Amino acid sequence: MNSPPETPPAADQQAARAVVSDADLLTRHIAGDPHAFSEIVKRHRDRMWAVALRTLGDPDEAADAVQDAFVSAYRKAESFRGEAAVTTWLHRIVVNACLDRMRRKSARPVADDELIEAAERDTPVPDQTSEREVSMEVSSALKLLPADQRAALVLVDMMGYSVEDAAHVLQVPSGTVKSRCARGRAKLVPILSHLRNRSDLSRVSSAKGAELRDG
Amino acid sequence: MTGDTHYDLEVLAELAEGLLDAATALQVREHLAICDPCGESLADLAAVREVLSATPTPAMPMGVALRIDRALAAEAENFRGGGVGLVEAPAWDDIMRDAPWEKAEPAALPEPEPVTRLGVVGDDGTVVPVTPARRRRAAARRRWALPAAAAGVAAAVIGATVTMTGMLSASGPSKNPVIALPSQAKSPKYQLTTSNWNYTDQELRGSMLDYIGPMAATGTTETSKIEQCVRRLTAQVGRAPFAVDQGFYNGQEANVMLFWHNQPKNQVLVHVVGPECDEVRRPAFARWK
Repeated sequence: MNSPPETPPAADQQAARAVVSDADLLTRHIAGDPHAFSEIVKRHRDRMWAVALRTLGDPDEAADAVQDAFVSAYRKAESFRGEAAVTTWLHRIVVNACLDRMRRKSARPVADDELIEAAERDTPVPDQTSEREVSMEVSSALKLLPADQRAALVLVDMMGYSVEDAAHVLQVPSGTVKSRCARGRAKLVPILSHLRNRSDLSRVSSAKGAELRDG
Repeated sequence: MTGDTHYDLEVLAELAEGLLDAATALQVREHLAICDPCGESLADLAAVREVLSATPTPAMPMGVALRIDRALAAEAENFRGGGVGLVEAPAWDDIMRDAPWEKAEPAALPEPEPVTRLGVVGDDGTVVPVTPARRRRAAARRRWALPAAAAGVAAAVIGATVTMTGMLSASGPSKNPVIALPSQAKSPKYQLTTSNWNYTDQELRGSMLDYIGPMAATGTTETSKIEQCVRRLTAQVGRAPFAVDQGFYNGQEANVMLFWHNQPKNQVLVHVVGPECDEVRRPAFARWK
């Protein structure tokens, strides 16, 4: 078979799968469809990764947490009652997996070496400040916050979810989410204020933020 | 208030979130109207939000995505296997990594019957024909039949695996992630074809056999670059590809490499790399047939 066919039979099937809702996929998974859950994973893994990475601030920990969360979701899919969106349910499982990890490690004092290092380092020319550096500084700064404030800020400010959505994920009242965000932001001001002075940051970044939120 | 002159950042942050009662909010607003430092602080708070939302959220690294896929596959295996009675799914793929039947080279498999190897080029350059997939179910079972029979209980499987690995594989029971290749062959065995087909993303999610089906393989001369790349991906994926096709991806020169993810289940992992071995597409799963 040297010349591939124009349309492989799988294409239609894939296209059909793409329009299936998360809830339907979950139903199919419960019914025994071996591919349904991996489709859910494929759709949401980047978001789940972002949440876990920002909440935990450590890629290894985040990988463990997301894996635990997906396996856990796989097992307890039947407990999903459809009272919330599948994404909310998944976020909840991921955030809880992260919070569990943080609690287990809570004895560990804040690892702020990176932060001190970042503060002492000569401030680079603004234009050359890479996104990566900003990202690392933000990660370090977030680690200084209590777990609940961090989780709220990750969902609302970083991931761009509404306070209501975050409240559903965290299973607390909206007012609590707002208050955690407010306290968290207040603590971050002295740590992150130097980033604000870097030219172009806010302008360039707003667009990016919006993009993420829309995604 | 700090001293009697300024408000705390926290109070200002609460104001911004509308958390203050009406009277306090009014008081703070009046102060803000005349106090520049507090106005600055409020701007700083807004800037923090800005910085946070501007921080890029990276996509999940491939390694993590693959790890999760493996964990879920193991979960499915355990779930469907039934009868094993394990509460926690063992990390089969980790436990079995060094097992001889997990390796790219099928020759050492102590299989009771010939294995279905789809369109793989044999030692002598001939292509093993595609075998109908009617025995998939049995194949899925067979995967664990050997250790299960040997050990009886799941807990003993690890020990049994190590023993068997020691006997059958040159690599021994080491946890070293280096891929154990058959000693007689220096390079991983895979089918190398040049279809020059321009793949689209959608095609790469479907049945790959339609494109890369068994055909005369390209010689292995002047392909050292591909070979290097294959080695790199082999190390990355943890196993060797079984088929590599030289073609195009969205109009760009690209090599499509297929790795078995779950052969009995017909699942392949597709990596698409450019001429310099750069990944030009997020690795994804497809079907073989």
